[in-house]
Amino acid sequence: MSSIDSLVRELRRLPGIGSKTAYRLAFHLVKGSAEDMKRLAAALHGVADRVHPCPVCGNYCEERVCPVCADPRRDRSVICVVEEAYEVGAIERTGRFKGLFHVLGGRLSPLDGVGPEALAFDGLLSRIDGEAGEPSEVILATNASVEGEATAVYLEGLLRPLSVRVTRLARGIPVGSDLEYVDGTTIAEALAGRREMSA
Amino acid sequence: MVLRDLELRHFRNLGVQTLRFPPEGVAVIGDNAQGKTNLLEAIYYLECFRSFRGARDAELTAFSEDVFHVKGVLEGERPVTVAAGFDGSGKAKKVSVDGKEAPRFSAAFGRLGAMIFAPADVDLVSGGPARRRQFLDVVLSLNRSGYVKALQSYRKALAQRNAALRTGANPQAARAWDGTLVEHGARVTCLRAEWAAAWAEPFASYCSAISGGDRAALAYRADVGTAGDGAEAGAESGGSGAGVVGVVGGGDAVGAAAATGEAGEAQVAEAYRRRLAESWPSDVRRQRTTAGPHRDDLILTVEAPGRRVPVRAFGSGGQRRTAALALRLVEAATIRQQRGTEPILLLDDAFAELDDGRSQRVVALVEEESAGQVVLTAPSESDVRLRRPSLARWRIRGGVIEA
Repeated sequence: MSSIDSLVRELRRLPGIGSKTAYRLAFHLVKGSAEDMKRLAAALHGVADRVHPCPVCGNYCEERVCPVCADPRRDRSVICVVEEAYEVGAIERTGRFKGLFHVLGGRLSPLDGVGPEALAFDGLLSRIDGEAGEPSEVILATNASVEGEATAVYLEGLLRPLSVRVTRLARGIPVGSDLEYVDGTTIAEALAGRREMSA
Repeated sequence: MVLRDLELRHFRNLGVQTLRFPPEGVAVIGDNAQGKTNLLEAIYYLECFRSFRGARDAELTAFSEDVFHVKGVLEGERPVTVAAGFDGSGKAKKVSVDGKEAPRFSAAFGRLGAMIFAPADVDLVSGGPARRRQFLDVVLSLNRSGYVKALQSYRKALAQRNAALRTGANPQAARAWDGTLVEHGARVTCLRAEWAAAWAEPFASYCSAISGGDRAALAYRADVGTAGDGAEAGAESGGSGAGVVGVVGGGDAVGAAAATGEAGEAQVAEAYRRRLAESWPSDVRRQRTTAGPHRDDLILTVEAPGRRVPVRAFGSGGQRRTAALALRLVEAATIRQQRGTEPILLLDDAFAELDDGRSQRVVALVEEESAGQVVLTAPSESDVRLRRPSLARWRIRGGVIEA
């Protein structure tokens, strides 16, 4: 197999990349400078050698534990649970959350063979120390999909006996959207979750 | 809506043709196996982007072709162009409205506002409950906002819960799906029950008008409204008249609750939660979810001397065809009411198996009720029956239509 063919084969294994796109990317790389290609290869090498999941929260990091877990200024009384590591970034970018994270590594989906044992539930439970009272709150930030919802419900069941406050991200109208274009289910959710306006 | 132009490319045997439909409609006359039903199938494809006969898209593509395309130009309050294409080589389907590709098919559902009636529809009445649930799902998906989403979420949660039950390793994990199942299941149940309650009366009067006096009734039997295994067994046997009537009563209680809006939905959700708890041991044993709207039915009954009997088990051939046609007329009336547009009626050899009296009364009904466009097919001039004097006549032979 030629070098280009094996490059195409590797690119095709990436999500969202079909064979046409894989060919286009491969030839784009070949056409460019050898330097560029080596930089890309070096970046991949670096990630492969140095990046690993944080033993505490499951987010990816290069140090022994991730920067969030290591940061003494983070609020240790709140843990925000997300499905995937890239969702940590989405919440971090808001700059509004000062607590810790826990990455499940997916969501319950028995149809795809993902049961409770395949997700980092045990790791989360082991982080909850009832005697020290930390954390006092776990925020379930799984997605608002059927699977994300079931994952949250299942987790809530596991957390309930541990005397920790369990909260769920609010569901409702996206900021900046017109009510007219929001689907009925979302409006119903927003109505159910409406809140008092404070002056 | 009125269908003005229809462009066909390699849909079944229809070749490449562009047709301009008269606003009033047309009678398409041709021998068997010339493509009459294919034409109606192509038109109805633009309503919900699949075959009304349940054929797969690959089967709709002409022999020796890979791609079919159907495009309709509709006139109404706001003119709209709906197009659908399928490429069998890449198994890709595209749907567009006014030239813009629809992100989801459901976003383009129901632009036509059409109802189709075919002789095979008798299985709406004589077939199993799944057939009637499918009828309800189509009618409500096209006419009630929020239904498609609730149904899709319900089906997803149900499939996941069943998969979790099948793995058996940790059955408790299956209960994580209960919340979503109840939330969306209650919405599905309520919208179906509400529809059945609203249209029971019109259904009865259509049946009476077509049959010349039969007293028929329609009721929604909601699984969550039944009390455990006893009633379930009665419904499944479907034969013993008394059992069925009991179950219909249970369904009506849910129907009444459902009709009261938000509070009703909460009540139904509560009932569903109880049903799930009750049936948990049997769910674990059978490794599937045994309670919920995926087990509901639309019960059609007709009055016999001294009692009410299910048309499905005890109705005559004529009574079943009458009930099926009445359901379709209710569907058309739903379109008229919910979408505020006159439905396009697609009648495929509609009078084929009705006796003279019934046919004439159907014709009278259609002519009295529906001011909209009618596209009907018939094997010969004498089977057209609809006496709209100016209804154009087209001939079809080997898929080629002569206007």
